[in-house]
Amino acid sequence: MRKIILKAVRIIDANSKHHQSVQDILIENEIIIKIDHSIEDSEAQLIAIEDLHLSPSWFDPSVSFGEPGFEDRETLVNGIKTAGLSGFAQIGLNPNTNPVTDTQTGIRFAQQYNSSQAVEVFPLGALTKEAKGKDLAELFEMQQAGAIAFTDYKQPIENPNILKIALQYAQGFGGLVQSYPLEIQIAREAQVHESLNSLQLGLKGIPAFAEEIQIKRDLAILAYTGGKLHIPFVSTKNALKLIEEAKADGLQVTCGVAIHQLFYNDAVLHEFDTAKKVMPPLRDEEDRLALVAGVESGIIDCVSCDHLPRTPEEKQVEFEHALPGSIGLESAFGALNRLFGLEKTISLLTQSRKVFQLEEYSIQEGQKASLSLFLPNENYTFSEHDVISSNKNSIFYGEKLKGKAIGVIHNNQLLLKQL
Amino acid sequence: MSELSVNHLLGIKYLKKEDIELIFKTAKHFKEVINRPIKKVPSLRDVTIANLFFENSTRTRLSFELAEKRLSADVVNFSAASSSVKKGETLVDTVNNILAMKVDMVVMRHPNPGAGIFLSKQVDASIINAGDGAHEHPTQALLDAFSIQEELGDIGGKRVLIVGDILHSRVALSNIYALKKMDAKVMVCGPKTLIPKHLHKLGVKVETNLDKALAWCDVANMLRVQNERMDVNYFPSTKEYVKQFGLTKKRLEKLNKELVIMHPGPINRGVELSSELADSDQAIILDQVENGVAVRMAVIYLLAAKIKQL
Repeated sequence: MRKIILKAVRIIDANSKHHQSVQDILIENEIIIKIDHSIEDSEAQLIAIEDLHLSPSWFDPSVSFGEPGFEDRETLVNGIKTAGLSGFAQIGLNPNTNPVTDTQTGIRFAQQYNSSQAVEVFPLGALTKEAKGKDLAELFEMQQAGAIAFTDYKQPIENPNILKIALQYAQGFGGLVQSYPLEIQIAREAQVHESLNSLQLGLKGIPAFAEEIQIKRDLAILAYTGGKLHIPFVSTKNALKLIEEAKADGLQVTCGVAIHQLFYNDAVLHEFDTAKKVMPPLRDEEDRLALVAGVESGIIDCVSCDHLPRTPEEKQVEFEHALPGSIGLESAFGALNRLFGLEKTISLLTQSRKVFQLEEYSIQEGQKASLSLFLPNENYTFSEHDVISSNKNSIFYGEKLKGKAIGVIHNNQLLLKQL
Repeated sequence: MSELSVNHLLGIKYLKKEDIELIFKTAKHFKEVINRPIKKVPSLRDVTIANLFFENSTRTRLSFELAEKRLSADVVNFSAASSSVKKGETLVDTVNNILAMKVDMVVMRHPNPGAGIFLSKQVDASIINAGDGAHEHPTQALLDAFSIQEELGDIGGKRVLIVGDILHSRVALSNIYALKKMDAKVMVCGPKTLIPKHLHKLGVKVETNLDKALAWCDVANMLRVQNERMDVNYFPSTKEYVKQFGLTKKRLEKLNKELVIMHPGPINRGVELSSELADSDQAIILDQVENGVAVRMAVIYLLAAKIKQL
């Protein structure tokens, strides 16, 4: 990368002495060379954008694209571009491809653009072969190849013995096991939260306890095996309570939440809008408020947009036939910033690295330049115009968001939106 | 009120009390018409209606078809097994194909909840929901409420009991909406496995003892157990179900009152209702069928009036 000078940018980094100050920043060869009130260098590329803010780069632990196998949902190339222009320099990429990412070859495939792009992909490997829940996949080899955790994505681990074995086995090499919290025999074919709303829609509902008994089960197994367990998506008040208690008991359990879960309750489904169909399902207002409080208090370790592109053929159909999921990279910053304000938002967008033991960044002279660039004060109504993804299935249309990301500097590369 | 507040009949949930009263007033007139020697009126001579049944139905389809023909509408029928029409694109395409032939109104039965609402957003025709999964079956609820009004003079304050498989029933949900809008008191009774967990939040009493429920009510609407919609056994055997929830003469003899007995059909004789009672004077099951035609004529007529304005 050529030399870059970022002019008059506000630095948001609670770990830096420059936090909340407006500075010029000189970057050369991936390193922050100088931070000062005024830097001049005739050889450097100048980036001067009004109200530009910077923070250590953001990481989202649960992103899905589709390549290989579901390229019509999203390709790696356009997915990476979407992530970067949405402010994410690093993403955890789910193994929900076809074939499922359950070997080291798959892990390497997902990382093929890492050396040349401003966005770094950290693949998650499948926990079981073909994510079928029967036999463990080659976890060690995948970890060696770069997998940061193991998950069958949103396939619950039905057989408790598989989770037991996985948690024991992964301890040998510090692997992180994820378990999607849903008791499938209780949930059966249901696709929405069980409530007065589901009753009025004539849709079968998933009771909150279907999530909670699975978490109880998983925690009991974890207490027996030891090791580290990550519950990627919690959606109920009581699920959070269980995790809080387990943490207090000293278990190595962490959990995450999807941003849309912090925004909506299941009342938004009243017109069978398939854009609002997600998994875990949108729950009660009481659950939503508990999740927001869980994020604020820190019981929830990871916040993710749970980016999940779907084609029109998968979404624009009758409610029961529509696949769950929403894209989320493009709306993540604006949504969080509206809910939590800027400093907390930046902390949320960077803190998941701890769970996955990734390198953390800070904006200081001499440090590696891994930066997210954003305009936090822009108020707008989120629309298709804001979407970079190949598919447009966003839950956030019509929502008033605050702030837009415009790019990243990472891996000695600059990726910047045309303004 | 001289016209409906809605352009489609997608569910009772979307109707106002005044809409229901207007439909009843119109239905009363049409009931008189269909009892004349010449049962047909020329009201809808320039209206074409498509009956799209993506799920099996005999009674509802016949009732709609008869209602349409009594109004002199042109009628086309389409039936498809639910399995052959899996995707919404296909549904929209199917309907658009039919609409391209200049159809003004669509009567649709579909296995998916919300299918009618989905369609109403995609195509340019007036939609009547003839049953969408476990969501709503508005014309059934209207004809049930109309029959109660006819039998008892008024619905307001009357105690209506709905017995049986509430969980899988679109009839129950639509009935509850209609009866509550008309200020009736509603109770449901059945095994707890077949009563939705949050039903009481609709202002409905829940009872698991049929004798107690019968002692409370003025009208008992007996629903069919929908075995075809059950993914697991919600009760151990039909024999046990009948012992607890089957309506028999013996049960009624314990009461010091005459109940009105209703059933949306088809009846499983000897299961939810004994033959003896189904054929008794207390049962208004065949009146319901007759009223079904009149009420559907009213709904079609009133919605057609709104198309003409457009």
